[in-house]
Amino acid sequence: MAFDGFPPFISAQLHYLINHFPDKIKVEQVLSGGKSYTGGLDRFTLLIPYCLDHIKWDVIYNAEFPLAPPDIIFGREDEDFHPLPMAGGEGEGDLKSRTKNILSDWKNKDPTRLLALILELRDQYMSYQRDRVGEVDDDRLKFEINTICSREGIEMHISSGSEKPEEVKFAVPLMDMNINKMVLGCPWRHPQKIYLQIIYPVGRKYASTPSAPRLKLMSTSELRALFSIDDVKLPSWLDGMCMAEYLPHLEESLEKQVLEAVSLIDIRRRFIEALAPLFGRPLEADPVFCRKATFLASSGSFVFLAHFLMSTQFPKQQPTLMLQSSQHISPQGFPKKSPFLTEYPWSPRWDVSQMAERIFDFLVEESLNFKRFCNESQPQH
Amino acid sequence: MDDLLLQKIAISGPTLASMIQRFSSSPADVDGLLFGHVTYIAPSTLSDDSQSPSDSQLVATISSFLSFPSLLSFYDSLGQVDSSRLTPTHLNHKPFIGWFSSRRKTPLRPSMRESSVSRSLSCIPNLSLPIENANFNSLFAPSIFLLFTTPVQDQSIQTNQYRAFQLQSSKRCFNPVSMDIVNIGPAFRGHYGSFRPSSSLPFLNCELRSLTPMNEDRNEGKLIGMKQTTKDQSQLDMCTEGMQIGRLSRLIGPEAVSYTSGLEDLYEKMLSKIESLARLVEASSAKVLEQENHNRKLRYKVGRSA
Repeated sequence: MAFDGFPPFISAQLHYLINHFPDKIKVEQVLSGGKSYTGGLDRFTLLIPYCLDHIKWDVIYNAEFPLAPPDIIFGREDEDFHPLPMAGGEGEGDLKSRTKNILSDWKNKDPTRLLALILELRDQYMSYQRDRVGEVDDDRLKFEINTICSREGIEMHISSGSEKPEEVKFAVPLMDMNINKMVLGCPWRHPQKIYLQIIYPVGRKYASTPSAPRLKLMSTSELRALFSIDDVKLPSWLDGMCMAEYLPHLEESLEKQVLEAVSLIDIRRRFIEALAPLFGRPLEADPVFCRKATFLASSGSFVFLAHFLMSTQFPKQQPTLMLQSSQHISPQGFPKKSPFLTEYPWSPRWDVSQMAERIFDFLVEESLNFKRFCNESQPQH
Repeated sequence: MDDLLLQKIAISGPTLASMIQRFSSSPADVDGLLFGHVTYIAPSTLSDDSQSPSDSQLVATISSFLSFPSLLSFYDSLGQVDSSRLTPTHLNHKPFIGWFSSRRKTPLRPSMRESSVSRSLSCIPNLSLPIENANFNSLFAPSIFLLFTTPVQDQSIQTNQYRAFQLQSSKRCFNPVSMDIVNIGPAFRGHYGSFRPSSSLPFLNCELRSLTPMNEDRNEGKLIGMKQTTKDQSQLDMCTEGMQIGRLSRLIGPEAVSYTSGLEDLYEKMLSKIESLARLVEASSAKVLEQENHNRKLRYKVGRSA
């Protein structure tokens, strides 16, 4: 993202924030608060990940007053969130005094300041939400909070929209595993984690038996290359269960699935290696997760590329094949491609060399079809 | 202590227009102080079915403002107000009822620092002012916050938004308060009482007896009389220009037959005084602008040298 138009002191702090924030933070609505644009852009909205969702905070700098620290406008629902200490307010804890120190000692030339401020405020926001959830008059919720609070890293959020019923949302990080370390040559910048989102409706006192909360598994986005949480079937929430009972089962099952996913990388790698004797060395292959490989092949004088796309469910799910001609171009200017081919003989029980042979045989025939397809729709010059 | 909740805030059209003009002509965000008074007003509607006596409304009136040329003027980066900057001498002994902040292209709700400033203001002792028409001695702390912004989207139309809040110090939250704009005109006659002049005519001692033609010469001869006349003249010169104090005698006593022309004369001279004051203000504003531009250039140098 290019940040032209920001005065240097804002640009430096914003870049540092984006590059060093522990998760993905987004910036939108970049505007200038000056009468004309000559002063530069000095206000923007940050989308800060919190509780598996985003909170929107507006950061207001003043390009005319570079020495002053920025001001922040919080979300519409958070009118009671006051992170700054009151004068003479004692016993307000360390959190407020850290924010205080950052702001009262603001150095606009120091690029790390904005990140420090946002992290501190986010921590305070977390404890503010925790206090608000603690105030909810619901026995089951209170029980859950008490039994869960020993787990680290839980974020909670209470939504108080006037049109929606009140809900309390928990984001529980699952499994203490360092998945990044388990992948050889892992390219991920941030640690990948899986979370369980648990949503409790609040305030429905007339229900005799408390209904099960809504559960959803979520993960950081880059994990998809290794393991897709959509494939995970959540164990069912039995009546009268609580989080402290449910979570260990889920974590055990998930751990097994993640370990299996990691072992599948190797199997995919061996499959790609098994293709090499038949197709030649791959033109391109994904070396870390082994999800893709592309080979150059020829059928007579027809030269084409064969793309192999392996899902995380390989070998249970067969690879998707796609052929791309190197000699035909579509009217739009792109090389002609075949549709995705997924219907061909396959069995996950074959060993990798047999898989490679069967695919090879299939492609020998299919390439003739593809050649015909390319030639048919080719305009004659 | 119970919170005194305002029912509404009244502001005169020129004051609001002046604030908006200050906001839109300023190169950056602007904030400042609000002055006025707070009073109980008995509701004007009387209904025949008297169920419960309706309470008188607590209404604040904003009559003037003072804007600061830079941010962090009377508060620091944490929003803590520096009470030494808000002493009565600093405020020119004007009744202080709140503050305002204006920032372009931001949402119309108080920010982190603004909340902190408002709360800090309401905690400073000795800044409260007495409420008029009250049944008992009650004080009003400066808890009004007026926010001006421009919309974040839709910049094709020039729009200025404003909202007034009162800080409820017991709950530490902002209550929006509706604002009434009061202008001159038949519909607003009831409000004339709430906007008293900031510069009223001075009290001048006049005795009817001494203004008969017989005694006039005798009075002007006395030294004490002359000193008093000079003093009175200088007081009159504060609000009029070129008005001789002797001419005021046309408004009372036997000379009052030409009351109308005397009054017109007085108003004419007051207007010319206002004109010359306006010219003075223009000249000094030009100097202030020059100084502000100079300051801005210095700040640019600081900002660019990263």
